[in-house]
Amino acid sequence: MSEDSAIFVIKTTANQERSVAGMLAKVAKKDNLDIRALLAPDELKGYVLAESSNSGEVEQAIQTVPHARAVVKGQSSMEEIMHFLTPKPTVTGITEGAIIEVTSGPFKGEKARVKRVDEGHEEITVELFDAVVPIPITIRGDTVRILRKEEE
Amino acid sequence: MVESVCMDCHRLVAGQECPVCGTTNLSNDWSGLLVIVDPEKSEIAKKIGVTIPDKYALKVR
Repeated sequence: MSEDSAIFVIKTTANQERSVAGMLAKVAKKDNLDIRALLAPDELKGYVLAESSNSGEVEQAIQTVPHARAVVKGQSSMEEIMHFLTPKPTVTGITEGAIIEVTSGPFKGEKARVKRVDEGHEEITVELFDAVVPIPITIRGDTVRILRKEEE
Repeated sequence: MVESVCMDCHRLVAGQECPVCGTTNLSNDWSGLLVIVDPEKSEIAKKIGVTIPDKYALKVR
């Protein structure tokens, strides 16, 4: 009975993705629209993905929702959005010995060498270049920028 | 209000305890929102194995 699902992209005001997704879910439930799921990944700023059988239902749902601006023409497939459902750990790509720059926190702007990578906790242990005594500090994997992959 | 997320089932929780798991193992550090409206028809819900319509986080730390 259920028709095939397709993914439709809704343009929203920046930083309102979560509230738009929440409100669209409420509207879909109230008006009995065929919207099956809504997805607001952090990587996709200004857009919300909606799983539905046709764009008409999505179009109808966004009419009463503030910050939902338009439905992007065309549709996307499940395969194309699958990678949003299983986010990669933020430390992927950071290797021991790499040179990084800290992008936030008390050590913002400092350069450091990676000593250890903890994939489970998504943390890395680094030693700052400018420190007089080498003290290892542990920081979150998403607060760094890689400058050089690995030093021989 | 900052919502917390159940570390076990990734569900967004308003109180101090997950109503489904009953655990108090919650986290405020999460990213990506997924709202499941119709778990029976939704392909996304099937892929991630969700059967209850609710709000979920894609990633919890």
